[in-house]
Amino acid sequence: MSTTFETTLPEQAVQEKGETRATRIGKHIALFLVVIGAWECVSAFGWVDQLILPRPSAIAVSLVNLAFIQGNVWWHFGVTLYEALAGFVIGSAIGIALAIAAGLNESFRRYISPYIVAIQVTPRIALAPIVIAWLGFGIGPKIGIAALICFFPPFINTLTGLLNVDEDALEMFHSLGAKKSQIFWRLMLPNAMPIIMAGLKTAISLALIGAIVGEFISASEGMGVLMQRYTFSLNMASSFAVLVMLTVMGYILFVLTEAADNWLVFWRHDARMVALSKKKARNWRVD
Amino acid sequence: MMSALAVPSADASAAPSAQAAKVVIEAVNVTKRFSESVIAVEGASFSVEKGSFVSLVGPSGCGKSTLLRLIAGLIPMTSGTLTVNGREVDAPRKDVGMMFQRPTLLEWRTAVENVLLPTEMTRKPTTDDKKRAIELLRMTGLKDFEFAFPRQLSGGMQQRVALARLLQTGAEILLLDEPFGALDEFTRERLNLELLRIVDEIRATTLFVTHNISEAIFLADRVMVMTPRPGRLAQIVDVPFRRPREISLLQSPEFNELVTEVRAILGAGA
Ligand SMILES: Nc1ncnc2c1ncn2[C@@H]1O[C@H](COP(=O)(O)OP(=O)(O)O)[C@@H](O)[C@H]1O
Ligand SMILES: [Mg+2]
Repeated sequence: MSTTFETTLPEQAVQEKGETRATRIGKHIALFLVVIGAWECVSAFGWVDQLILPRPSAIAVSLVNLAFIQGNVWWHFGVTLYEALAGFVIGSAIGIALAIAAGLNESFRRYISPYIVAIQVTPRIALAPIVIAWLGFGIGPKIGIAALICFFPPFINTLTGLLNVDEDALEMFHSLGAKKSQIFWRLMLPNAMPIIMAGLKTAISLALIGAIVGEFISASEGMGVLMQRYTFSLNMASSFAVLVMLTVMGYILFVLTEAADNWLVFWRHDARMVALSKKKARNWRVD
Repeated sequence: MMSALAVPSADASAAPSAQAAKVVIEAVNVTKRFSESVIAVEGASFSVEKGSFVSLVGPSGCGKSTLLRLIAGLIPMTSGTLTVNGREVDAPRKDVGMMFQRPTLLEWRTAVENVLLPTEMTRKPTTDDKKRAIELLRMTGLKDFEFAFPRQLSGGMQQRVALARLLQTGAEILLLDEPFGALDEFTRERLNLELLRIVDEIRATTLFVTHNISEAIFLADRVMVMTPRPGRLAQIVDVPFRRPREISLLQSPEFNELVTEVRAILGAGA
């Protein structure tokens, strides 16, 4: 766990990585091209029906068409992204708030624990039609479904993180005469941050699933609607193009949470920790 | 010499200086039982004089940490009386500070931010508080590491930060529970010497827990020997060697005689 303070180490590590990275990326691209090429051949020679598996070139053409020529796909893209993000924010906020209440209050924790188990074992996606029935057909119910599906990992991770406090650290705070609120803000919450962030990373991909399932059930806009529309009309190349765009959306969301993790839980990321240490040394003022 | 110590006055005759030194920790028949069968400390009576360095030595599980926690006001005792600076101990207090075997640093705070933690319990750190924190880190040998995060520091350096944090509390009574016990021999020896220098410099009263007999003797003016099941103070031994102590003391026959004596007390109690 303990590493010696060595300012040159991280840069060296990055340099070493950079050398191998070029060759590694090259290998990845080569493998990707081989797979795509094989797929193209399989479809071109008619070994697999175009209606089952469209050719990569056809998917690429559809993608360009959707994204740049038709252009209206971006509206749907934005709708789904908005539903997923709003659902993520609401679901995570509720999950974290409930977990903090449960973490700080033992009797509250006891009362809700059977329901936690019930929620955990229920396939929450099954609630989606009920939510639609409640909230109607607009964007609202999709946000609700996304929130419902994604709230659990932030909840359980926050609770676990808050309860998993080092006994010795707690005793140290007590020996300093710390108040309960000081222990929460200065020890319990930061201590739980890494696992809370891990919960949020899971939640963001669940929120996207929730938004799309909501759109499948009933919607007039969003990537889920496009997906259904294209598959119903057997336009498989466009369906796959929509799938590729959803992959891109998922990746963007993932990168954003990774960046948030890097920023918030800096002490678990060596490069950022070293940078912050230097910055704090530069900015140190006693006033 | 082998009889268990029952009354606090029994060690009064052993005080090296004739002047009545001020007693800061006074324990009379302090007992702590965790359950019917687990009696961690039984009938401990002793007193610690202002500015003195007292070691508490005994095998692991004999109740050393429990006794320290009682003095720190972290846990309530079962019976007996315990006063610090003339006031009954009932909760953690400003004049008593504690340091543990593990550094328990907050890994999201730099060294100096960790040192400032005790101050934050009562107020927003002032300019003077911050200057003092930096000064204490230099005193504990961490110049140039004030802004390092715990993960950037070795185990020994982390424990130095913990020591600086303890000193930042401003407590005049320091309770140290095997503070360097998890470190390697060399680091521990060096930190022990620095600890002696520092507590002398700030004129602290120190109660130092260890299970290492020669460490206990080397550091202390007085060694309280504790034996297990139930945890009792078997005897309090005065250490006559002059300060400041040199490492060479460890080789002297007088020193080794005292080690043998303490070992005999521990052997008799086991
Ligand atoms: N919180 C506790 N609850 C129950 N028993 C305890 C507790 N703390 C310590 N003990 C018991 O008290 C005895 C003394 O423990 P401790 O003071 O930690 O010993 P030492 O520090 O000398 O190793 C041990 O038998 C230990 O199991
Ligand atoms: Mg102990």
